[in-house]
Amino acid sequence: SVTEIRSGFTAIKANIQARDPIRTLSILSHPHSLHKVKASDRCCITHQLFTFYVDKVFKHCKTEDSYVNRKISSIANSFLSVKRKLRQCHEQNKCMCGQESTEKFKQILANYEGLNVTSAAIKSLGELDILLDWMDKSR
Amino acid sequence: SGELYCSLPNPRNVHFESINMRNVLHWSAPEGTGDGVLYRVKYSVYGVGKWIRKPECKNINRTWCDLSNETSDYEEQYYASVKAFLNGMCSDWMETTRFNPLTDTKIDPPMVSVSSTEKSISIILTAPEKWKRSPEGESVSLLQVYPGLQYNVSVLNKKTKKRWFFSVSNNTLVVPWLEPGTAYCVSAQIHVTTPLLHSGFSEEHCIATLKDKTA
Repeated sequence: SVTEIRSGFTAIKANIQARDPIRTLSILSHPHSLHKVKASDRCCITHQLFTFYVDKVFKHCKTEDSYVNRKISSIANSFLSVKRKLRQCHEQNKCMCGQESTEKFKQILANYEGLNVTSAAIKSLGELDILLDWMDKSR
Repeated sequence: SGELYCSLPNPRNVHFESINMRNVLHWSAPEGTGDGVLYRVKYSVYGVGKWIRKPECKNINRTWCDLSNETSDYEEQYYASVKAFLNGMCSDWMETTRFNPLTDTKIDPPMVSVSSTEKSISIILTAPEKWKRSPEGESVSLLQVYPGLQYNVSVLNKKTKKRWFFSVSNNTLVVPWLEPGTAYCVSAQIHVTTPLLHSGFSEEHCIATLKDKTA
């Protein structure tokens, strides 16, 4: 599923990022980079981020381009299946949320809420490679 | 106020060309401007608020600028921008798309070295190094950048024209049960599964297995 997310995103990356004119703000990577998250917090942050994308991002990412919309919904479906797996880890207490991941996720939500919902959603979608690169590296 | 009147046509096709994370900004001259156009370059880290000028690319007449140094942190993403000047006039700043060094670089083929015995060939593969500031700088193999890096290896029997393909993760491969006294040609390609990247195939390295002493 993560590979499907990656290939789906690669297909629409230029289109989505071109819709985000704000260079000076990032949802995921600033001021605190995902790459600074401790190993013990990775599962929790990943679970929180997948929930964030499912609950807050995809539903606000409608475009006038049906091809792009189809790719977004296929990415969203892949997110749902990964999220289900992560929830199982969470329920088996293998995905504990420490202080740092809670703070980190709060920062991400603050970045998101600092923009109007459509801009925030499109920006978050355009940053999927930041999430995927971090997940690949952390594997 | 000495503000330049920016009606010069814009530089075109401003984009990064990256090989092994040597990240060079390229562009085409504005349409119909001929010689004498000078350029300035700036770049920014995505998510950080400021544009930074590149002094070594101020008032240059070439249409490229090496930003490898400025974009070497591949956990970040970048934008770069170019402005043209001619006879007191200027163009707008023209930007790249968002550049992600990790996914937007091209990878060179691996280095291949081969040795042989009577019935086998040993192949040693070396992934290219990430671009570095200076020859004395610390070498970082792309293997460290892309943990999922693999090698696709092709072995061709020059006599029978039979070809085998292997996919290996570590950097050595021994191909057994070959014919003595026969020429084999090896070439290899790098393949990264995620993000999806692959190099071209290397040049062929040919070697003959030793002759069968008992024959």
